[in-house]
Amino acid sequence: MLFLATFFPTWEGGAGVYDFVGEFMKATVDLADLLGLHLVMSRNAGKGEYKIMVAAMGWATAELVMSRCIPLWVGARGIEFDWKYIQMSFDSNISLVHYIAMAAVVWMFTRYDLPKSFRLPVTVLLGLCVYKAFLMELFVHVFLLGSWTALLVKAVLTGSISLCSLFLFVTLVHSN
Amino acid sequence: MFEEASEVFDNMFKSSFPLTFIVFIPAVLILVSPLPTEAAHEFTVYRMQQYDLQGQPYGTRNAILNTEARTVEAEVLSRRCVIMRLVDFSYERYQKALRQSAGAVVIILPKNMSTMPQDIVQQFMELEPEMLATETIVPVYFALEDDELLSIYTQTLTTSSSQGSSSAAEVLIHTATANGFQMVTSGAQSKAVSDWAITSLEGRLAGTGGEDLPTIVLVAHYDSFGVAPWLSYGADSNGSGVSMLLELARLFSRLYTYKRTHAGYNLLFFVSGGGKFNYQGTKRWLEDNLDHTDSSLLQDNVAFVLCLDTLGNGDSLHLHVSKPPKEGTTQYALLKELETVISSQYPEVKFSMVHKKINLADDTLAWEHERFGIRRLPAFTLSHLNSHREAQRSSIMDVRSVSPSSRHGVGEPPAGPYVDLRKLSRNTKLIAESLARVIYNLTEKGAPGDLQIFTEQMVQEEQLSSMVDWLTAQPRAAQLVDKDSSVVSTLEYHLGHYLKDVRRHYVKADKRDPEFVFYDQLKQTMNAYRVKPAIFDLLLAVCIAAYLGVIYLAIQHFGVLYSVVRRITAPKTKQH
Repeated sequence: MLFLATFFPTWEGGAGVYDFVGEFMKATVDLADLLGLHLVMSRNAGKGEYKIMVAAMGWATAELVMSRCIPLWVGARGIEFDWKYIQMSFDSNISLVHYIAMAAVVWMFTRYDLPKSFRLPVTVLLGLCVYKAFLMELFVHVFLLGSWTALLVKAVLTGSISLCSLFLFVTLVHSN
Repeated sequence: MFEEASEVFDNMFKSSFPLTFIVFIPAVLILVSPLPTEAAHEFTVYRMQQYDLQGQPYGTRNAILNTEARTVEAEVLSRRCVIMRLVDFSYERYQKALRQSAGAVVIILPKNMSTMPQDIVQQFMELEPEMLATETIVPVYFALEDDELLSIYTQTLTTSSSQGSSSAAEVLIHTATANGFQMVTSGAQSKAVSDWAITSLEGRLAGTGGEDLPTIVLVAHYDSFGVAPWLSYGADSNGSGVSMLLELARLFSRLYTYKRTHAGYNLLFFVSGGGKFNYQGTKRWLEDNLDHTDSSLLQDNVAFVLCLDTLGNGDSLHLHVSKPPKEGTTQYALLKELETVISSQYPEVKFSMVHKKINLADDTLAWEHERFGIRRLPAFTLSHLNSHREAQRSSIMDVRSVSPSSRHGVGEPPAGPYVDLRKLSRNTKLIAESLARVIYNLTEKGAPGDLQIFTEQMVQEEQLSSMVDWLTAQPRAAQLVDKDSSVVSTLEYHLGHYLKDVRRHYVKADKRDPEFVFYDQLKQTMNAYRVKPAIFDLLLAVCIAAYLGVIYLAIQHFGVLYSVVRRITAPKTKQH
């Protein structure tokens, strides 16, 4: 775990920066995420489930340390109380689930015995995973969601993505 | 012990490097990072006066604050910062806060004083000297109101007034959602300022016609006083006196430039500092001139000393004397000339002489002329106030000037004391006429009472107006005007325009037995941090523990979800 965590900082570059720079830039960065996950999983020798779990947990921990530890440490220790730190912590839980789903989808994408009918849903799910952050920004700006509502929407979105990927995973693993 | 520690460090460095990082970083962060501050609201507060006069301490002694905010309605006030608005201010509430040994009192003043009703302003003015009279450990601050401060006040009000009266459930909800405020001042404890020099300025116009001419001294003190030094602008008291003095200097210097109108009197103008602190500037000036110099204008023939104090308003003039002038003296001549001029040219002005003996047993002297009277120089003070104890001589409400020209916002006059420029210029002209009649001996030469020496245009109202505006643009408390201050140098420059031999005079307190001691930390920045009550932390911890427990259970029983999904997907494949 620690060994994996040391590698992640080099891969996991800009997951904390949200900015309307351009969909293209975003896509490129998040695609790099996928590549990174794939590389890590291929190094790991073990059953499918273990690969997924190890990769996802390592990735999520790295993201937590890089993008949330410093603000929490610096901000939450002050005199003032702010609900945004609680929200940040919830957000880290949600992104853990999200990364597990993403790792599972990446693993499924690279399987050679993936049935043809699964290709499309898996690709769609992959795209959703990559653009989830962008979608969230869009929702917040268009519907002017408050911070707690945005968190709820994010949770629902992640929940649905992970449920779909769970279905696909179970079907794939137990289809023979 | 140290060898073991070094062994541990050696092992750490020899084995994988990343491990050491992970162990080190939190330790470093704990040691190095200071507690960060991000204020909910930061605002400037002005502290109440703190000074010692002749050994007697006045005002508040403390300057540090780090307590929770409450308003007066709250039950427990001890060690809390009590916030009050000026509209709700009353002496009983103030006393209540002090009795319960509150941590501090913050009084919020409205940005625009003219919105206050007259009686509140009057009441506050009466209370100012009482607040200062007792020495208190509780720091008292004044802050100017803005929207954030007002919202902080209303939130604190709802917290404080609901404290005693609700059920347990309400209290619980309230603690979870309410916002408390922690007020913290930045800055150190106040200490005495050493070596503070009070500056005074003098200048003269020499008379013509030989040696040993009689001297007339005109005096006005330029400093102001109020319950908070940074808020005391002193428009009427004594901005009016200083601007009148400068205008008289201008008028008489013009007269003295022409040989025909050059009179046989020396005119000595003195702008004194430390006037509100028992006339320290004048006292030392007199000592230096009478005791320590061989010859000075004050030692020889002094006709009289006229002190100008608070002349910017009102329709009455009072000549305060400590000894009624004897007939035949120049002093008496001025008294008579004043009466003549007023009765013939300004009948709307009520003039009277007020005789008050110097009482050396009092803590402070009443008027500035008493300093001269103690040294046996004939002196009087001219003021529109009847008594030296009037509250408006030392109030922070004395803020600005009003003129008929619309530059200053026509409309209702301000609630507190103020300078009415028309009346100021009328008084200036009045005094100038009377002085001229004395100097040129006009009554003896048979000039009628309504002869106007100075025409309307000579006394320039714009000059007076701009002087008063400039004087009230900055606070002129004696603790704030040091010898490099712009007030002193600008006054020096102006005097230098009209008078000769403009000199500065410094007063420093005696080392062993100081007549006055000033303290610093008069203006501080206060931060109001939004804090949650202590119960809230407990509640939050319980909720987080519950949440973590639920998550743990969910993960433990993930297998259940897995088998459900499997069962759902299995029939599909069977149907194939």
